[in-house]
Amino acid sequence: MLDIFAQFTAKYNYWAYIVIMMVGLFAMIAKRNLIKKMIGLSIFQTSIMLFYVAIGAKKGATIPILLSGTDPHHIDATMYVNPLPHVLMLTAIVVGVATLGVALALILRIYEKHGTLEEDEIISQIRSS
Amino acid sequence: MHAPVLTIIPLLLGSFLAVMAGWTRKSLVYPIGVLALILSSTFSVQLVMQVLSEGTMTYDLGGWSPPWGIVFIVDTFSAFMIALLIIGALATFVTCRDEIMAHFEEKSAAFVSLILLTLAGHVGIVSTGDLFNLYVLIEVAALTGYALLGLGNSRAVLSSLNYLCIGSVGASLYLLGVGYLYMLTGSLNMTDLTSVLQTFPPNASLRAAIVVLFLGLWVKMALFPFHGWLPGAYSNSSATTATLLAPMTTKVMAYVVIRLLTTVFPGGLAIPEALPEIAVVLATLAIFAGSAMAFRQTNIRRMLAYIVVAEVGYMVGGAFIGNRMAMTGAMLHILADAAMTLTLFLAVCNIARKRGSLELSNLQGLFKSMPFTMAAFVLGAMSMIGVPPLFGFFSKWYLLTGALQAEQYPFMVALIVSSLVNVVLFFRFFEVAFFEKPENNPGLLEVRWIRVAPVALVALLLIAAGLSTGLIVDKIIAGVIPASLI
Repeated sequence: MLDIFAQFTAKYNYWAYIVIMMVGLFAMIAKRNLIKKMIGLSIFQTSIMLFYVAIGAKKGATIPILLSGTDPHHIDATMYVNPLPHVLMLTAIVVGVATLGVALALILRIYEKHGTLEEDEIISQIRSS
Repeated sequence: MHAPVLTIIPLLLGSFLAVMAGWTRKSLVYPIGVLALILSSTFSVQLVMQVLSEGTMTYDLGGWSPPWGIVFIVDTFSAFMIALLIIGALATFVTCRDEIMAHFEEKSAAFVSLILLTLAGHVGIVSTGDLFNLYVLIEVAALTGYALLGLGNSRAVLSSLNYLCIGSVGASLYLLGVGYLYMLTGSLNMTDLTSVLQTFPPNASLRAAIVVLFLGLWVKMALFPFHGWLPGAYSNSSATTATLLAPMTTKVMAYVVIRLLTTVFPGGLAIPEALPEIAVVLATLAIFAGSAMAFRQTNIRRMLAYIVVAEVGYMVGGAFIGNRMAMTGAMLHILADAAMTLTLFLAVCNIARKRGSLELSNLQGLFKSMPFTMAAFVLGAMSMIGVPPLFGFFSKWYLLTGALQAEQYPFMVALIVSSLVNVVLFFRFFEVAFFEKPENNPGLLEVRWIRVAPVALVALLLIAAGLSTGLIVDKIIAGVIPASLI
């Protein structure tokens, strides 16, 4: 029992991202409102960004800018957080924003046509027409 | 020298110029699109020549050398595939001129721009040698695809949104897998990653990384049971979009799987044991399910969409069986399936132009009224069924032999059953189109030559490629498969 608890606290950042990811996935699957689905999608994508940001962090490290007086040929990598995952996530954020933009544009078209955002009502409208 | 990026640059520039032309001079939009595609296909043919004579080409983007910079790696197979993708898109673009320019009126500039962008994304996916860059390009190809698929009949927007939800989850899962791999190995470059993995002790995180990575790709390529988005998206969208994307998306994603299996994890390096078995089972189910559902359709385009679902099973099964024969078959089938899907969808596009609805009940007497289009369609259908000497027969032959060597009997049965189902599917359509007379006989009502020429050329390509299969395997495919795979 204590073992599991220790494992949980030692890697709490990974547990956090998994919980957030499942919240997002649940919203995408269970919610019938299209906007809520998109919120779920955003949460899902954000959880992965958090995961990436977490793997770049180091205990006791500072931002990846050389401290004054450091010899540029002898850099101690453990003193700085890894900036690469953070930079990757900047791109992923842009992709996420673009995805959301396209999704909202599509939802707008659906709303213009059907006058509702509830998936069940839209499907019944399509079936009856 | 710069050939690997030259294929993409005209497409990117063209998509910008097309939008700008849409604001000022509408008449320039279509010529810009054609020019970009012709330039791009010229460069792609040049790339194929260069790669055939000099071997695999590596291009450091921005002069940053790997593993720090992003590289494009083009081998013989990917060069060939790039050429096929671009020339296929050019064929669609020429065939569907009227639909692109007239059907969408004020949107035509955006439409042309999106077509060029989505093609650039797909070509980039095939060229890149960096795992994160691959994710970005997958999203470039997918996002433009969602926008294109949203234009269509009244259901198109909802099917496109559905595709967006599923596709984004797939891409995110892939990204998560890449994150795990980066965490374990500290590298994103495919070649560098392999050299690290050679000495890496297999552990649970690595297994999780690879499983999540492939799961994401399977969602993206519509492998059963993740195929839900494909039939709706491809049958409700406009004919142009379906013709453009159906030969590209699933084939390109299948290529990504094959590329990962042959270069990053060569010879099953670090792959968990259960993964290939699960993949072959899913592939077998995909073939059965796709064929069964295609059987229930009365709309030709919807039927073809379900056949695409079944074809995904062929490629995944061949890639994961794990011997040289099956891998060759899977790679051949990528080329064959791209060419024959293109033939069928182009022909359907022409039929839709003259007949409107694509319900079976609306297609009587097609052989009389559209003889050339139907001749091309018959060639495409025969290739899909697997009649020699068409290309589809040879890829299936390699797949069957590979499955036999690996004793994957269920997969073999699936391949044969799906061929038989395809016979029934296509001949059901031919029966209506050949024997039944339409109520008011329209006489000869063929589309203009400019719409017949592309589909006829692609159909003839199926015969030519089929007859030179041995050459293709020797020159293009054999060198790409790692020697460790027997």
